[in-house]
Amino acid sequence: MSQRPPDFPPVIVHEPTFLDALVSTKKVIVCCGAGGVGKTTTSAALGVAAAARGRKVLVLTIDPARRLAEAMGIPEAARTPSPVPREKLTELGIPANGELWAWMLRPEVVFESMVRGLSDSEERTQTILQNRLYKHLSQIVAGMQEYTAAEALYRLSTEGNYDLVVLDTPPSRNALEFLEAPRKLSMFLDERVIGVFLPKKRGAFWAAASSLIDTVFTRIFGAGFYQELQQFLGAFSGMFGGMRSHAEAVRTLLTSEEATFVLVTSPEPSALAEASFFKSKIAELDLPFAGYVLNRSWAYTRGFGAPSAITLGDSVDPALHTALPKLQVLAAEETARAKRDRRLLLDLRAQTGNDAAIATPHLGGAIEDLRGLAALAQNLVKLEPDGS
Amino acid sequence: MKSLLSLRAILVTGKGGVGKTTITAALAQTFAGMGKRTLAAEMTADGISTSALGAALGVEGLSETPIDVRENLRATLLAPTLGHKKFLEDVLPMKLLADAAMRSAAIRRFLMAAPTFPEMGVLYRLLDLVRQTRSDGDWEHEMIVVDLPATGHALALAQIPSSLLRIIQVGPIANAVKEGLAFLLDPEKSGAVIVTLPETLPVSEAIELAAGIREHQIPLRHAFLNRVPNDPFTGDERRAMAELMASLPPTMGVRTLDRIARADVARSRFATGVKTNVTELPDTLHAGPDLTMHIAQTFAQTLAQEAVSPVGDHEARR
Repeated sequence: MSQRPPDFPPVIVHEPTFLDALVSTKKVIVCCGAGGVGKTTTSAALGVAAAARGRKVLVLTIDPARRLAEAMGIPEAARTPSPVPREKLTELGIPANGELWAWMLRPEVVFESMVRGLSDSEERTQTILQNRLYKHLSQIVAGMQEYTAAEALYRLSTEGNYDLVVLDTPPSRNALEFLEAPRKLSMFLDERVIGVFLPKKRGAFWAAASSLIDTVFTRIFGAGFYQELQQFLGAFSGMFGGMRSHAEAVRTLLTSEEATFVLVTSPEPSALAEASFFKSKIAELDLPFAGYVLNRSWAYTRGFGAPSAITLGDSVDPALHTALPKLQVLAAEETARAKRDRRLLLDLRAQTGNDAAIATPHLGGAIEDLRGLAALAQNLVKLEPDGS
Repeated sequence: MKSLLSLRAILVTGKGGVGKTTITAALAQTFAGMGKRTLAAEMTADGISTSALGAALGVEGLSETPIDVRENLRATLLAPTLGHKKFLEDVLPMKLLADAAMRSAAIRRFLMAAPTFPEMGVLYRLLDLVRQTRSDGDWEHEMIVVDLPATGHALALAQIPSSLLRIIQVGPIANAVKEGLAFLLDPEKSGAVIVTLPETLPVSEAIELAAGIREHQIPLRHAFLNRVPNDPFTGDERRAMAELMASLPPTMGVRTLDRIARADVARSRFATGVKTNVTELPDTLHAGPDLTMHIAQTFAQTLAQEAVSPVGDHEARR
């Protein structure tokens, strides 16, 4: 069908939005929301926006789907963040001091560097890295992503390499696991839990607890495997303090002024329901909430003509005479959607108390490249073409 | 769709936001309407529910024990706790010991926080629900329809059992995992269905998901293309209109015209890429339990047609 530029229709923001201050000042922006609402593209577009402000930005995705890498043109299986090439950034009008990096979280890499960072000797590092259980755990994706996301966020935001880390979380339910991961991790690493698994704990209480646990776990794991598990935990035990302090540091960072949470939603009722569920969760966990991005909305009709204004000459394709009334029906449906979405936007604005909600236009097809992301960035923050 | 009827469990997969939960609810309602004792289950490894499945069925507060929704239809959360409890009861020599173990904060925390254990608890719970019988010897739930987490996570979950078997090769855990795998891989008993939308990216992801499901040898039984836009035009009309629109400034209606065109491309890519039977569902303005009911009606009609017409059974001709 017809080919149009990716920034069609052009709804460029001319006044600063609530996102403007965030991309210029925050150290961490976390994008959350239901699946399929465009979190990944929104995260990447915010990254582009911050780079356009001359910041060094990392977009970090823990979404197991492979979209960000494709859109940003970075290698998928990279062990470390990759920069978007300078010439591409120049094409997008990003100033020389602006940098855009991206990484798809790889749990096994994060785990390994954590072990290396916390281990007191190379010997201990090797004992752990060569352990059969360690290898298994570090390769499992489910669950581990959430543990390692927190650790990765700790590392990347404390090393000071980036001015801003934009975190793209997995779909809502799993994103919750990510929010809870630091807490869960410290719960799991609580000495009272791990301690009872370790051989030779002293004290009557521990003895009683250990004996129950020994019985239960020998029974379910088998004696051989249980011993292996104990060895594994024993080798790890010196690191628990460090892991826990990282988990606490992430928690402190995420609740601080330096971090903010942006909720991305689509106009779909189910996505909105998840967004409000998420908002209450953010409040419950005492995390700083910035506002909403109502993605892929039909709210904008500015600049669109009405089909009724089209006059067909005599020489046109005869099929158009029957087709035009049908287009009018479609146009009426779009108008109804536009009304619904504008009302939604007003509702979301009212909910935040400071009008912190913005709608992005329905761009039609998927955003597939940097140019598309840059177009979306212009819908989110005020970006003058000359970079001023 | 009728090949789904002989199964004991259907795993509904797909990317987020494609209508997985609604389709789970609608399938469950359809089977229940046909007289099957059906359980709709929302899988949650961390025990947190978004109540989306409850909302789609018009009930509040799903819990780990099934609640009655209507005749022949129950709904529940598929969470690890009861799976862990049942596993301990089955493995430990005395119920007393299992109870003590579940009461032990250390063991409970370990089971909930240690990687892969929550997921295995969910699998064991599913097995338990599949096996439960009534006093007359019939299945308590003849059919269980499970709403799985979004794409990437569904595949990550599928990876767990075989991975766990590599490190724990013998003993009760290995046995339970083997049983779980045998059930999931048995084409007579369980199968996966994929839900997606007629748009570029969702179809690409659904095709990847289908490949991933096959890689894990889980039988893929059916696919649903959800929210297909209504196309009011004839072929000639659409061609002429698209040409006209390309020559004019943006016009209302053109975005829907583009959407219809994308849906056409997506439909044919999906049909060739997913390699299973596809049922299309129209885009409607219904929402919540109302939408579930409408889709369930479409399913019931499709199944009724397949039952009377030999041509309707395109599944046999795959």
